Amino acid sequence: MKRYLETGNFAITEGAILAGCRFFAGYPITPATEIAEAMSRRLPQVGGIYLQGEDECAALHLCIGASLGGYKAMTATSGPGYILYADPYGWAIGCEIPLVILNSGRVGPVSGITGAPGQGEFYLTRYPTQGGNYETIVLAPNSAQEAMAITVEAFYLAERFRTPVTVLADQLITDGFEDISVPENEDEMKEMGFRIWPRKINRGPNFYPPTDEIDIPPVVLGHNTGALCSDWTPTEEGYDIEEVEAHHKHAHRLIYKIRNHRDLFNHLYEKKFMDDDPDLIVVSYGTPSRVVNTAVAKARQEGLKVGALRLINLWPFPDEHFQKRNKYLVVELNWDGQLVREVQRAAGKDSEVHFTGCCGELPTVNDLIEIFQKILKGQPLARKGWQLEEW
Amino acid sequence: MKVRTEILASGFGGQGVVRLGQIIGEAAVKEGYRVTMLKSHGTEMRGGYVRSQVVISKEPIDSPIVENPDIFAALSLAAYNSFKHLVTQGIILYDPAFVVEIDDALTCRQRPVPAKDLSVQNFGRPVFANTIMLGAISRHLDVLDRDTVLESILHVIPRFHEENKRAFEIGYSLFNGKG
Repeated sequence: MKRYLETGNFAITEGAILAGCRFFAGYPITPATEIAEAMSRRLPQVGGIYLQGEDECAALHLCIGASLGGYKAMTATSGPGYILYADPYGWAIGCEIPLVILNSGRVGPVSGITGAPGQGEFYLTRYPTQGGNYETIVLAPNSAQEAMAITVEAFYLAERFRTPVTVLADQLITDGFEDISVPENEDEMKEMGFRIWPRKINRGPNFYPPTDEIDIPPVVLGHNTGALCSDWTPTEEGYDIEEVEAHHKHAHRLIYKIRNHRDLFNHLYEKKFMDDDPDLIVVSYGTPSRVVNTAVAKARQEGLKVGALRLINLWPFPDEHFQKRNKYLVVELNWDGQLVREVQRAAGKDSEVHFTGCCGELPTVNDLIEIFQKILKGQPLARKGWQLEEW
Repeated sequence: MKVRTEILASGFGGQGVVRLGQIIGEAAVKEGYRVTMLKSHGTEMRGGYVRSQVVISKEPIDSPIVENPDIFAALSLAAYNSFKHLVTQGIILYDPAFVVEIDDALTCRQRPVPAKDLSVQNFGRPVFANTIMLGAISRHLDVLDRDTVLESILHVIPRFHEENKRAFEIGYSLFNGKG
């Protein structure tokens, strides 16, 4: 194990290479540019290929081409680039092309604030393309070290489910420096819990079976095999077609291959101080969860019975955590409240769901403890930041 | 030692604020600590605001935010005014070339480190100011050995080793004991 003081961008790059990524296409954008930079240096060292697209849309198309050519492929961007993936993302979902996509959130909308963290793409990662009739897999790390592990896991799930997997990070993770341990051999990778799934080749004749099965090798062109991978509905035998029944079968497959095998990733969450049925459950993902953890530990010392639930698997949404009637506080890096809506839905009417948001900066421990106290006493929350009360 | 040591540095782009944090962070990694170092900045390459927040701990670090710095290196007046209130028990080290107005109402210790002027005096240009500030920080930083910090400077800045060693010494010896 080698230790570095390095950025999350470094950790993600090394994680991808450990997972077998040998193709990267991207377009520079703060705060993910350093991934492209590191990939351009690292991939040639391990026999891989780096390409810069003329924009993000082109970059993801290049990744699709590489994945169809048998490569494990990845791209990385931030919110303003992620929206340009809409077209190829849908193609990759439809043709079941394994890919890994890193989105490092900054403050939006549009170009917003580049050098500050944001969580504005919670729903966008659920619906990254048009049309519906699909599920997406989205994982959110909260540190540089975990971003490495989650990148490895994303490649693993992408291969087994044959689908693009989004890793949703934020500027503090990718741009921030941390002490990072990089495994140097397979034993160390196992020790760190890394799971690797090799790229396999589908030899036909069942390229797109109308079932919820996973672990079907993806379509790879060449090698005396292959199937048509167009933007139309694929038939089981790998032709494309515009036909109602074939479409319905395929759409069901895209939804239920993921929904019915959630056990492969729904263990990805973290609970702290949750064993004694806390009076308030603080829900978050990404870097805000780190402040939440510190705040909850401190609040416990002050006698407040609060617990912390951190989601790593964001989509499909893990409803199972919210079955019990409770008070919830959702902490996000946005002011409009996105995760909170999903928690409201999953928690049901009996529960009380509160929201506090920040923009471009993490909440402070002291602010959070004040909010815990208010909620536990049934007092209203004051809005922080700009004075919006009169709006 | 206490559970966590927090260092905040802030100034303009181009002053080496991020590099300063990186050097301290790397020294801490070398000494076996867990480290986080956040950098925030505007879009400009030079002249925009920059902030580094370093947390050093024996334990895994949850919140990477510096809420109560042990050392705050203030390299611009705007930075000084934005973050001075965070310092309660710690010390503010400010460069008087930029921080031209000091808030006497603060209860924490505040010491000038004329890094820019000392760099110009000793080396004919301001480029070693950052290393002078690092020397001053190192003097006040209990958790890290001064030689490890110096080693990190020489590792992170590959050129001008002799000048950087001297600059570090100038900053370090500004204070008798801990001033």
